[in-house]
Amino acid sequence: MNERRREVLQMLAAGKITADEAEGLLAALEKEPSAPATGGSAETSAKPKPKYLRVVVEASEKSPIGEAITGKSERHGPAKVNVRVPMQLLRAGVKLASLIGPQATVAVNDALREKGFTLDLSQLKPENLEELIDGLGDMTVDVHDDGAKVAVFCE
Amino acid sequence: MIPVLLTIRVQSFRLWIPLIVVWILLLPLVLVLLPFAVVACLIARINPLQALLAFWRLLSALCGTEIEVNDGKNVVAIRIF
Repeated sequence: MNERRREVLQMLAAGKITADEAEGLLAALEKEPSAPATGGSAETSAKPKPKYLRVVVEASEKSPIGEAITGKSERHGPAKVNVRVPMQLLRAGVKLASLIGPQATVAVNDALREKGFTLDLSQLKPENLEELIDGLGDMTVDVHDDGAKVAVFCE
Repeated sequence: MIPVLLTIRVQSFRLWIPLIVVWILLLPLVLVLLPFAVVACLIARINPLQALLAFWRLLSALCGTEIEVNDGKNVVAIRIF
């Protein structure tokens, strides 16, 4: 990006292009997405879509989270939970939820409102949640607390 | 593609379940229950075809699911291929 701008300014300095032409070229460069420094193609810089959602929990022997996972207050070692869920399953679940009838949606909304959640399920659209799922690719959650580690990420 | 193999590991014991055989065995039951499911969908004002497609997508998306729980002494691992 900086090299292209420099080239435009050099052409302007050399008189090869007019000031208006240079301004148009610089405006066009600003609108373009920034290319990588190595000058690679757009395809190589594109991130692959995540395929799986991973939840990894590691809890020490005395951690209450480990007790919640295993149901045992005394354990012989750290408790580990490793869950891998395909992203397609999340998409399929969203599409299944879209089949909820209006009567059931109202009942669910009322139940959520009683619990303090001001969420309207009828406003959830599959395309909106598709963007959310695509955005999960950059999500990483790391929690370290009381002898337990919780990591949620996409791969 | 629908899952074809389920593996369950408990400690050192492993069990491989060919799900394709399970689907074939369940097919007659599904065919018998299908009319009732269609009627239930119509009563609930849900498109039966969309419901069927949604369940099929859900089933197909199970491939690659892994669940493993280890409490230090016991290990339970479930994988769907």
